[in-house]
Amino acid sequence: MFRKNRWKTVLAAALATSMASTAFAAGTLRYATIGEPPSLDQHVVTSDLATTIAHHMFEGLYTFDASNAPVPLLAESDRIEDGGKTIVITLRKDVTFHNGEDMTSADVVASLQRWGEHGSRGSLLFANVESVEATGDHEVTIRLKEPFGPWKNLMAFINGGPAIYPASVASGAGKEPIAPEQYIGTGPYRFGEWQPNRHVELVRFDDYDSPSGEPSGYGGARKAEFDALRFIPVPDVGTRVSGLQAGDYDYAENIPGDLFADLDANPDVKTILNGGPIFGLVFLNSKDGPLKENFALRRAIQTALNKTPALQVAIGPEKLWRANGSFQPEGNVWYTDAGTDNFSKGDAAAAKSLAAEAGYNGEPIKFMVSTNYAFHYDTAIVYTKQLAQAGFNIDLQVYDWATLIKKRSQPDQWDLFFTHHGFVPDPILISVMNDNYPGWWATPEKAALKAKFTASSDPAERQKLWSEIQALIYEQVPTMKTGDIYTYNIASPRLEGLGEATLIWPHFWNVSK
Amino acid sequence: MLGYATRRLLALVPTLLAASLLVFLFVHLIPGDPAAVLLGDSATPEEIDALTREMGLDQPLYQQYLLWLGNVLQGDFGTSIFFRTPVTGVIADGAETSILLAVMTMVWIVLLGVPIGVVAATRHGTWVDQITSGGAMLFASVPTFWLGLYLILIFSVTLGWLPSSGYPSVSDDGGLANLRYLLLPSFTLAAPNAALIIRLVRASMLDVQREDHVRTARAKGLAPWKVATKHVFRNALIAVAAAFGFTFAALVSEAVVTETVFSLPGIGRLVVQSILRRDYPVIQGVILIIVVLYMVINLLVDLAYAWLDPRVSLK
Repeated sequence: MFRKNRWKTVLAAALATSMASTAFAAGTLRYATIGEPPSLDQHVVTSDLATTIAHHMFEGLYTFDASNAPVPLLAESDRIEDGGKTIVITLRKDVTFHNGEDMTSADVVASLQRWGEHGSRGSLLFANVESVEATGDHEVTIRLKEPFGPWKNLMAFINGGPAIYPASVASGAGKEPIAPEQYIGTGPYRFGEWQPNRHVELVRFDDYDSPSGEPSGYGGARKAEFDALRFIPVPDVGTRVSGLQAGDYDYAENIPGDLFADLDANPDVKTILNGGPIFGLVFLNSKDGPLKENFALRRAIQTALNKTPALQVAIGPEKLWRANGSFQPEGNVWYTDAGTDNFSKGDAAAAKSLAAEAGYNGEPIKFMVSTNYAFHYDTAIVYTKQLAQAGFNIDLQVYDWATLIKKRSQPDQWDLFFTHHGFVPDPILISVMNDNYPGWWATPEKAALKAKFTASSDPAERQKLWSEIQALIYEQVPTMKTGDIYTYNIASPRLEGLGEATLIWPHFWNVSK
Repeated sequence: MLGYATRRLLALVPTLLAASLLVFLFVHLIPGDPAAVLLGDSATPEEIDALTREMGLDQPLYQQYLLWLGNVLQGDFGTSIFFRTPVTGVIADGAETSILLAVMTMVWIVLLGVPIGVVAATRHGTWVDQITSGGAMLFASVPTFWLGLYLILIFSVTLGWLPSSGYPSVSDDGGLANLRYLLLPSFTLAAPNAALIIRLVRASMLDVQREDHVRTARAKGLAPWKVATKHVFRNALIAVAAAFGFTFAALVSEAVVTETVFSLPGIGRLVVQSILRRDYPVIQGVILIIVVLYMVINLLVDLAYAWLDPRVSLK
């Protein structure tokens, strides 16, 4: 008798606790991620997953609105002096860090300097910076060697960008990512906990000082509606999808194209196309091997490729890809068709004769690809076949991602490698513009155009110069674009306030369920 | 018995040393560079070199090994390159999930495997035997990822009875009720293993049934159930005991597919993710612990033999 009753009690207690945990979850957004980010330090880490989590916690001086234009976030206003060589930024007052301290110009200077010296994208701006100084409690002055057009876009780009940390954190930090206990920002959510393999949790920051204005993209007022945001690694895509359908997750990222039609038609699931496309890139080795300085041979390779069948195989539904040769998507201010005639000819006969003219004698061309990303591998298989038809001797080398990034830094190990690139607001941020990026494209023609491009602050002139650079990319072929890919995420229809996606990092301020 | 156990424990030391050396060498022989993975796409070679130096990965391999071994002997498995927290903590967290999962799976295996195997053997040759043997064959052949996804579809998406994935620790809110997160994964993992145990129990029971002492027991008029449990089953258990031991070790270390499908923060997924991230200290730590686990279970199985079968000599 006693035993029976005891079991009843245990059962009732278990039931009660399970119900209690359900009630608690109502205030928590549960986001199923593909894995774990290497770190959330925005200065040095460029992983998209890291930014998706971290931009709720860290803020920069600027951010992007719905039209991808930079708007003030921690900055209040700015003025340009000295013909574009001096930038004076006034900061918002009463901004509080998660540790309770007020943000001042000292924090901004320390953060910008750490980013400039060690940040992933900082050297791009800081190669041209003479000094960064606090010229008031809430005023920072940046002096440039030459006028530098993309400065505001670079500052607004939080991924690998200048998030503002307290001076106490930023001034001691080097190239290595800062530790989680130093995750102190100004955002609507603050760092909660990181349980390896389980989740990263951010909790609402009650003393948040929101910028004003109508919300637009990442700009305008921000309000944390959830008690907590929980980012849970769910590596299996089938589980991400069924977990969302079962109500265990509210949002799941990175769903493959072949599920799109079904999910799009399902009333219990909301599909969200990302705001900016990603694009595959095949880099060509400019430092070593048969492709070095042989631009005619590179054009022959590009001529052999027809990008459309590869996109059909690797991505699937037509809603999710565009065979677009411009490095920026149609409708964007940087869109240009300069040079794109040769984007996707798929002409094996022409490629064969071009290659013969360029002196190609069937030397093996080493093509490295990783299976970590299915679309890399699928695309590479299609390309290898097309190149073989045009008489190229392709040696396809398949590695895991960590091995590939190790090997690609060794110029004698490869001739082609496959990677992909996220959408960026300023073409200066595209990896091929960086002379040190594997592939090492650094011709005098590039250097001359790049110098003009970064020096100009005039939007119209910069757009014209970019179209010249893109034409040069099609002429010298340091890299080959594979087409635009619109990745998508899925959400529970209960989530309110999601709106149109901005860039590729979903944000959950002004969102509730 | 005690002397035997001590000798066996001492014999583990050279095995462990050899295993640790192999683990260390294999891990460092994989091409790829933790610093490059950590710093991401835009890092320059100089920055990667600097971080490599900082992590001590530029030292000669034997020095790195001796340093690591010295620390391990003091219980320090180092710091995870990826998580930046002590490896022991990372492993302990994964171990909770893996061990609970393995225990629950063993419960399923014992509950399903042993009775069904016994029934199949006692009803040898009848339709009961054919159905259970056929069913066992079917479950032994079903891939776990397929079974797992179907169970999620039925019990989580359609019926909504059980959570689809994840596992909050029993020390979190929810307490022991969180074990319900492991019901589907443990069943998934148990199905093929239980099928093997069914076949094993059935086969060894049939073997034992043919032996003289069973015929004697029957001849002296013992009740059939008494013959089946006391004379046949106990003897048949000897072969099954070893299988249980190794199944348990395999469940802790090889549940990676199930852990991935159900998104469980266990040891199997940890080691695969750590290999992709080239997180050397975690890979080395986990594999070393798995080696120890196998060795201890091996020892326990041998001791269990002696307990089950007094004829086994422990000299």
